[in-house]
Amino acid sequence: MRSISRPLSSASPFAEERPPLKALSSLDGGLLMATLLLAAIGLATVHSASSELALDYLPRQAMWVAAGLVLMVVAMSIDYHVLLDFSLGFYLVGIAGLVLVLFFGVERGGAKSWFEVGPGQIQPSEFAKLATALFLARFLAGLNRRVLDLPQIAGAIGLVLLPMVLVVVEPDMGGAALFVPLLAGMLLIAGVHVRLLAAATLVVLVLGTAVWSFGMQDYQRQRVITFLQPESDPLGAGYQVRQSKIAVGSGELAGKGYLQGTQSQLRFLPARHTDFILAVLAEEWGFLGVATVLGFYGLYIVSAARVAQRARDRAGILVVVGLLSVFCFHVLYNSAMVVGLLPITGIPLPFLSYGGSFTLYNFLATGIILGVDLRRYVNR
Amino acid sequence: MGRVGLMSLIVTGLLGAIAVSFWFVQIVHGESYRELAENNRLRKLPMEAPRGLIHDRHGRLMVENIPSYNLLVDRSRTQDLGRSLRFAAEVLRRPLPELQALLESYRAVPEFKPVLLAESLTLSEVARIGVAGLEYPELEVEVRHLRLYRHGEQTAHVMGYLAEASEAEIAASQGALRPGDLVGKKGIEQTYDAQLRGRDGERVVVVDSHGRPLEEFGRSRAVAGQDMTLAIDLDLQQEAVRWFQGPEGVGSVVALDPRNGEILAMVSAPAYNPNLFARRLRKGEWQALLDAPNLPLTNRAIQNTFSPGSVFKIVMLTAGLTEKVVHEKHRVFCTGATVVYGRRFRCWKPGGHGWVDARGAMKHSCDVYFYHLGKALGIERIARYARMFGLESVTGIDLSGEKQGLVPDPAWSLRARKAKWYPGETISVAIGQGPVLMTPMQMAVMTAMVANGGRPVTPHLVKGAKPRTRPDVPLDRHALEVVREGLWAVVNQPGGTAHWSAYIAGLDMAGKTGTVQVVAQSARTKNENLPFRFRDHAWFSSFAPLRDPRLVVVVFAEHGGGGSRTAAPIGKAVHEKHFASALERLAVR
Repeated sequence: MRSISRPLSSASPFAEERPPLKALSSLDGGLLMATLLLAAIGLATVHSASSELALDYLPRQAMWVAAGLVLMVVAMSIDYHVLLDFSLGFYLVGIAGLVLVLFFGVERGGAKSWFEVGPGQIQPSEFAKLATALFLARFLAGLNRRVLDLPQIAGAIGLVLLPMVLVVVEPDMGGAALFVPLLAGMLLIAGVHVRLLAAATLVVLVLGTAVWSFGMQDYQRQRVITFLQPESDPLGAGYQVRQSKIAVGSGELAGKGYLQGTQSQLRFLPARHTDFILAVLAEEWGFLGVATVLGFYGLYIVSAARVAQRARDRAGILVVVGLLSVFCFHVLYNSAMVVGLLPITGIPLPFLSYGGSFTLYNFLATGIILGVDLRRYVNR
Repeated sequence: MGRVGLMSLIVTGLLGAIAVSFWFVQIVHGESYRELAENNRLRKLPMEAPRGLIHDRHGRLMVENIPSYNLLVDRSRTQDLGRSLRFAAEVLRRPLPELQALLESYRAVPEFKPVLLAESLTLSEVARIGVAGLEYPELEVEVRHLRLYRHGEQTAHVMGYLAEASEAEIAASQGALRPGDLVGKKGIEQTYDAQLRGRDGERVVVVDSHGRPLEEFGRSRAVAGQDMTLAIDLDLQQEAVRWFQGPEGVGSVVALDPRNGEILAMVSAPAYNPNLFARRLRKGEWQALLDAPNLPLTNRAIQNTFSPGSVFKIVMLTAGLTEKVVHEKHRVFCTGATVVYGRRFRCWKPGGHGWVDARGAMKHSCDVYFYHLGKALGIERIARYARMFGLESVTGIDLSGEKQGLVPDPAWSLRARKAKWYPGETISVAIGQGPVLMTPMQMAVMTAMVANGGRPVTPHLVKGAKPRTRPDVPLDRHALEVVREGLWAVVNQPGGTAHWSAYIAGLDMAGKTGTVQVVAQSARTKNENLPFRFRDHAWFSSFAPLRDPRLVVVVFAEHGGGGSRTAAPIGKAVHEKHFASALERLAVR
């Protein structure tokens, strides 16, 4: 595969010239502001969610955020074409990590998805997600066609399916599901007929519903449900949804006040510093708090989309859209789950949920998006 | 690119739809959810795992759990807190201002958290509160297990006690402990806390608006803690305790099996009552324990070091014979005093012992013999043998806070005292005076090594525990044999220092007395006439039977007076108790 850092419009006489870094003033302010504010809100909420636990997670999360900020600046300052050049390597390392974790990983909550490294733990699927986004961007950018043909689409699917299956095996259904928006978002931008995508979605939906409704016995359905929810809470998923809704609802308009959430503080709410952190926020800050946070997510998404729209080349667009799709899926699924619209799966909320690898991933992805934006001007 | 714009539009639209869902849950239905939250329709009730029981070596129950009823008040559910408090004060027969002050102290605790009003309610009090439950929904009665130490002070230093986990312990437990949980703080309760504790369970119940459970929603089982069987023999323990009563009953007794290190009795007096800790200690009670005379919280068997006095002659004679500095038949003439390094050293017996050989020197505890032996060995060799007998290491007992002894030598003197070692000090050390120090437990291990031929056993309280064993110490077998015979003569031959006070017909017990001067005194002052705190310490270390030893008993009587007068009879009593059935059989025959 030829190098991506060569401009795609290969007719350019300045083929080897890299776009210089524009002044930092051309950084997207909205994106940066949303990132920093969400991370700050996340720290405060993690403290509240874990203050009644044996361990306050605030100091650790603060450490992760600090490390994330550094990584964000580093990722921002590297030309994304260079990242794409190395993306095959990243991808292979990511796959290797996913394979190794099946053998040497530690089991937590029924899934073998963590490496024990010194005092902390690393989740290789977060890195694999990033690597796959970069490699897929490179693959699709290299094709340089308005509409992809079937073998090309199949290639892209295969490329995503490999890490996805490895994550399914762990088994981490939430983590695996995130590869779907990654693929769909990038394919859509790379040039797939909307009709084809719509048809595929329809077929999967109809087939799935048919099998679910007519082709399965009750116990089989129960097995699938259990399989999709590996968090082996002895009290079951029904309990979680109910407690989450009570927490959210009882927050009403203005909330019960910081550190005053009875549902969260009384330990009714499970996984409240990770997957259900939004419920803690909703209980303590009410609808106003939720609306503010969702507003910041909206700002992040709109800003990142603007970065994609004004990106310098196809590769830049693809990278941003891939990372943004994953981000959107996290936000939409998690918030819908907390308010009881979707079944419970382990999909955390970017910048708010506690988690080392996940926090680092989000800052890295944001750094890459900002980096694309910094290099948007074609220097002639 | 139109597609990117379209996608961002769709996503923001979905985000808006989710915001609307939150609006519905929080604003439209907010009130009903708030009601649910306030009534805590689902309540998590912890199910306390019963802590493991503790038995003695014969299976007799020593520590158990009994139910205890606590009164809690949930201030967020009250209609009229004052009325409820008046009711509680009336039922508990406690002054109202006291309860009000108690409640005031919970100011910082969030309102929705039930707080403790009273502990250990009687059944009639529980019944009265239960009957009035509808009227006072904020009063709750909670059942908890209370630890009961059946033998109180008698086994205090063996068992230890429970208290609320400290923040450090909670952090170190990796989620096993929560604030307010009780953990073992000393003794067996501390060392084997993880096994004894078990795992708490949880019941989730649907409750009505009065907090009464209607149905169960789910549960996770509580796993009971493991029961433990100790090596302790309750009879022996109680026999030893019997001797340490009253304000002058200060000291320690250790009885262990020299074959494997099992501790059959471990007494430290005075002791505390561990049952006091089972309920929350009141401030005054803790301070009273700290201020009590003779430190009842200290386990003298392992946490205090003392000069061994003449018992140290065991080390001396073993060293002398093994190093061939002296022959077992070599005799020394004791006139009641001798001059070494230009200084006059007195024997404990003013008239002198006349001619004594190795066995005789041990039997009579002749100081003059050991002054000469000390000079011949030199401090370095004495120190080496003292270390071989474990004086400078902990015994490795399964209890925390163990101290090690002190083996003085010239290097130590320079390091710790910044002073040169004087040869005269070697002569003091030779009879166990001077800076040499050891714990009663170390003396028990030392005596066990004499009894079992040089194997340093690791003392342990839990039967069947497999403690780390240390390698055997290269001591001359014949030297140990001579020492054992000398120790046998102490108890069994007329003229032996403990013959008049510790001889048991039919049991070949061997032992050594020791008397440690607390203050310099003229030889004529009788101990009984001195104030308690100036009296000598008394030691008696023994094992039996001479062939195939099965029991080591060390007695330390702090300010007890003479070793043979005070300590030896206690050792005799413990041996008699242990070998009672064997002795009876002998008497019948």
